[in-house]
Amino acid sequence: MSETVSPVMFLILAFATIGGAVMMLSTRNVVHAAFWLLEIMVATAGLYLLLSAEFLALVQVLVYAGAVSVLVLFVIMLTLRRREDAIRPYEPSWAGTIIAALFLGALYMAITRFVPVIAEMPEKVPGVADFGREMFTTWMLPFEVASLVLLAALVGAVWWSKGGDGR
Amino acid sequence: MSGYWLLIPEYLLLAGALVSLFGDLLPGGERSSAILGALAAFAAAAFAGFIGTAEPLFGGMLVFDPVSVFARVSLAALTSVYLLWSGGRGTGSERSHEATALVLLSAVGGMLMCGARDMVALFIAIELSTMPAYVLMGYRRDDDRGLEGTLKYFLLSMTTSLIMLYGFSFLFGITGVTGYAEMDLTGAGVLGVLATVFVFVGLLAKLSAAPFHYWAPDAYAGAPTSSVAFVSTVPKIAGTVAMIRLVEALSPGATQLPLLLSIVAVASMVLGNLAAYPQLDLRRLMAYSGIAHIGYVILAMATNTNTGLAAAVFYMVAYALPSMAVVMIAAEEGSAVEQLSGLVDRRPWTAWALVVFLLSLVGIPPMAGFFGKLYLFTAAFGAGYRALVVLAVLMSVVSAGYYLRIMREAFFGERVSTPAVERSIPATIALVLLVVATLGMGIAASPLLGYLGVSF
Repeated sequence: MSETVSPVMFLILAFATIGGAVMMLSTRNVVHAAFWLLEIMVATAGLYLLLSAEFLALVQVLVYAGAVSVLVLFVIMLTLRRREDAIRPYEPSWAGTIIAALFLGALYMAITRFVPVIAEMPEKVPGVADFGREMFTTWMLPFEVASLVLLAALVGAVWWSKGGDGR
Repeated sequence: MSGYWLLIPEYLLLAGALVSLFGDLLPGGERSSAILGALAAFAAAAFAGFIGTAEPLFGGMLVFDPVSVFARVSLAALTSVYLLWSGGRGTGSERSHEATALVLLSAVGGMLMCGARDMVALFIAIELSTMPAYVLMGYRRDDDRGLEGTLKYFLLSMTTSLIMLYGFSFLFGITGVTGYAEMDLTGAGVLGVLATVFVFVGLLAKLSAAPFHYWAPDAYAGAPTSSVAFVSTVPKIAGTVAMIRLVEALSPGATQLPLLLSIVAVASMVLGNLAAYPQLDLRRLMAYSGIAHIGYVILAMATNTNTGLAAAVFYMVAYALPSMAVVMIAAEEGSAVEQLSGLVDRRPWTAWALVVFLLSLVGIPPMAGFFGKLYLFTAAFGAGYRALVVLAVLMSVVSAGYYLRIMREAFFGERVSTPAVERSIPATIALVLLVVATLGMGIAASPLLGYLGVSF
């Protein structure tokens, strides 16, 4: 692994991420916005890969690009009655702009003033195998509890989708 | 990796949940699943009482010290009483065994929250405890208003969960650890404060403290009253424990924390008590009074002393017992305040039990609520929050106004209405247990506080 990441690759991916975000926000068509979101997710996965974080890249593609974007598209499909509804008018709001600007300012100030505690890179970049070993030893308990959360969500989804007769 | 046997209470609850999911197949129909769940929760409470160790488990993820043992036992015992009660009455037109399973799963999450000393374990436990609550709040699928309230609750709760997770990610980025033991925010500056605020916004919204309270009245008023009895009480015990742990862990670095908590405490006390006054629906009234009670608890948390934090947990349990009982009575008699009128002629024993619960909520000795408030206010007074304690006492007097209004309706109300639900034997036992607990916790307050490591 090289000390620094390839600047060309980084610039391409960073451009794809930020450009995609701008496009997602500026497009008036919600279906287009959903596809731009997908593009951003894949580009972010590329950034993770560039940092040798294979597992994170994998999860990013599986969960965000795979599941979340498809979910967004499903919601659009199920809630839009007519094709024309997909195009939404642009409604700028001053309150929203001010809140966003304040948040950005606060975050920028906080991050620039903050001196990171872990400055040095680890000797060896942990791979997917290390991650798996760690997950099923140290993080066993949260991992198992997560399956219970999914069980509860599943029971709830079945409950609500089974229609009104009840028995 | 040892220590799995220390999670026996959770296994018992989980086994109860999984069995009651197949409630149709049980002999005796679906009501037996609730009774079975109540037994499982009772066994869990008994086991949780014996499992206490200050040794950190799973690399510091869980710690079962006296405070969390106390909270775990109360949580499991309250779940048991709730299931006993709901086993007696069912869930109206809907079948009930899914509700039993969801209540037990939520209790598992709450039990884990009580012990959690790690951000990852805490977050996943919070999710496990709230995910079933969404379904319970919208359990009646034919009720559009209930589903609207549920949707509001779901969206707000999810958003605040994500804000909290955002805060956790900052905390991890600053400190490089997820366990509270090594978490040190000193020197993190503005980013540390920002992260702390995010984390507490999430927790305060779950506890329905002002100014993050607005989901509670709508969600409670739309939900089935029987679900409100559980959702508005049991998860809050776990939430309080989770919050005092974070206050302990984050206080050294975030010096503004006591100020932030005091503001939230004042806002919750004043808004909750004043807004509860004009309410005509018992669920809305209890939602607002819940906001007020959370305000008292947060006042004690702002002290960040062992005394204050233990008093906060004690008070939360002392609040949850009568509050659950009042909502249970509302579920049986009808949720509007005026539907209680003539209760003393109709069901004299229930009416007198209601008096015990309401007086405990006001804070009259010898009920649990009085001792809870006494310790709470003593701790806050000792830490120098004199003006806030005076305000809190004034606000408790204000709260007597609307609690006494409920009592007046029950005893001197003119209109005689018929009860919504017939009383069954398990439901009667559940109410009797809650009366005994409300009185008993008051009498045993001193030894209990001693167990929590506090002496007055």
